[in-house]
Amino acid sequence: MTYAAVVKAARSRFEASGAKPVNPAYILPSDIPLELSGEAVRARLCVFTDHRGNEMVMRPDLTLPVAGLEADRLAGGTNGPKAYCYAAEAFRLPAAAGDPMEFTQVGFERFGRDSDPVEDAEAFALVHEAVRDCGVVPVAIATGDLAIFPAFIDALGLPRVTADLLKRAFRQEGGVRALVEASPAPIEADLVPTLEAATLEEAETAFRAALAERGIPLIGTRSVPEIIAGLRARAAALAAGGVPEKVREVIGALAAVNCTAAEAADQLDAIAVKYSLSRTSSAIDRVARRMELIRELLPEVKAICRFRSGFGRRFTYYDGFLFETLGPNLSERQPIASGGRYDGLVSGLSNGKANATAIGGVVRPDRVLRAKGRGA
Amino acid sequence: MTRLSLAIPSKGRLKEKSEAWLASAGFPVTQIGGERGYQAQIEGLGDVEMRLLSAREIAQGLVDGSLHAGVTGEDLLHDLAPTGESDFDVVKRLGFGGADVIVAVPQAWVDVDTMSDLEAAGAAFRKAHHRRLRVATKYMRLTRRFFAARSVGEYRLVESAGATEAAPTTGSADVIVDITSTGATLKANGLKILSDGLILKSEAVFAVSPGAVWSSEAKASLEVLFAGAAIKGKELLEKI
Repeated sequence: MTYAAVVKAARSRFEASGAKPVNPAYILPSDIPLELSGEAVRARLCVFTDHRGNEMVMRPDLTLPVAGLEADRLAGGTNGPKAYCYAAEAFRLPAAAGDPMEFTQVGFERFGRDSDPVEDAEAFALVHEAVRDCGVVPVAIATGDLAIFPAFIDALGLPRVTADLLKRAFRQEGGVRALVEASPAPIEADLVPTLEAATLEEAETAFRAALAERGIPLIGTRSVPEIIAGLRARAAALAAGGVPEKVREVIGALAAVNCTAAEAADQLDAIAVKYSLSRTSSAIDRVARRMELIRELLPEVKAICRFRSGFGRRFTYYDGFLFETLGPNLSERQPIASGGRYDGLVSGLSNGKANATAIGGVVRPDRVLRAKGRGA
Repeated sequence: MTRLSLAIPSKGRLKEKSEAWLASAGFPVTQIGGERGYQAQIEGLGDVEMRLLSAREIAQGLVDGSLHAGVTGEDLLHDLAPTGESDFDVVKRLGFGGADVIVAVPQAWVDVDTMSDLEAAGAAFRKAHHRRLRVATKYMRLTRRFFAARSVGEYRLVESAGATEAAPTTGSADVIVDITSTGATLKANGLKILSDGLILKSEAVFAVSPGAVWSSEAKASLEVLFAGAAIKGKELLEKI
């Protein structure tokens, strides 16, 4: 197959699913990826400054601008499920030597359908069939579910601030280790009146008095009530005595889940049973049901499909099921296809004005050719 | 670039100390065109292209391979190297130009003493203001790497052109990543260093570029310099 034939094969598969072909904006304000995902993504972004000095980026994938189209459509008052597909270029700074800065993604994005195991399995099957149409037999498929870690944290019943910190740290390069090992510092004596004040007004007065006593100027854009809220959250975490041993054990056990996709739900369930975390059951059931459906649709993937609990934790806007398909002749960091669920993205892009469940997947034609032993 | 291309800082104490170090090793530097000229020559190393540049230009030159060797700040090398420490070789720490690269926040933030406190404050800030907390710095890569390794993600970088410590007062950013030697400037600006906010203990270093094109002539000059300055650089000379 030629490159053009590979692009056509994948694209035809996605178009046949009823998705509408689009080619959204190439250039986005850098605020879109950076406010949404944070500075960690900057290392891979093709950033430039326009003639007015505004920082812009070349689209790092198609999911972001397509989700932007959908957010605009929904904010404009049109409802109902919608699916888009594309064969278009995206731009990223290379992560490894030899990676191209400009590459084509052939993919689809589906919005507003039920966020359930059936839709997860269908989207997965669509990508897998497109890969098959391109004439490649995958050697491995890595899967994960980014809803699992938060489900376990929620079931542990930690103070809100600690739970939120753990959930966010899980998605960062450094992970949760430093956080679970830290011991919270005590609150200084002169701040106790601020904490013990009956009203926010009294707390503000006490806080300003403590600052004046220390000779500290009030600078920065955080307001006094924000600082007081932070202080209260810290006092709550302190009262809870940091991260309890049980939480450490659960996080350690979760991190060790790395098995065939068929075993995943049983392994997660065993952790939930051992630590009495019954509130995780709906998240675990979803992992089980999804894999059953995938095996029914595609019996051949059972042998090569794996599940790892930390898989994809640094893929910025994904928040549920996700997967990467690996082909021959390529490294683990160069999947030929990938996809996942991002139910929170449309809301994040529109500042809450629009809301839509979402799942998508892409094939990389350049890597498909390399997997087939052609092209470099 | 066949002859050795060597650079030292063009101004101030870094320049004086660099010249003194080279002179003590037996390689005196003289400026062409008087005190204000940017061309110079160095004795004792054979035919060498001696250049006077800003410390930042020297670090950039070493990282991209347009300079063979030079004196610059470790902070700048770490910040400008796209893949980190494999992009340069520090052969000698020179014991001057010492400064810490640190993370500092307003002293008024009595709820923020550590990097994870900062992450919590950043998340609350985003909810309240619908934008991320701003971090002003000249050290864009160094900051990004350190914050990522400490699992801090709730922030936006603002590139600072100078007087970074004033950013929280003027309101252009709340947090800064900057160099400090005594911490006095920070204190005067109402800032405090986070307890785990030391990114790098930096000083002036003599560094070599592994990515430059090395002729036998350039290598020979470097070998003479190593011998004069009592640097054990046999392995490095074999590598480049």
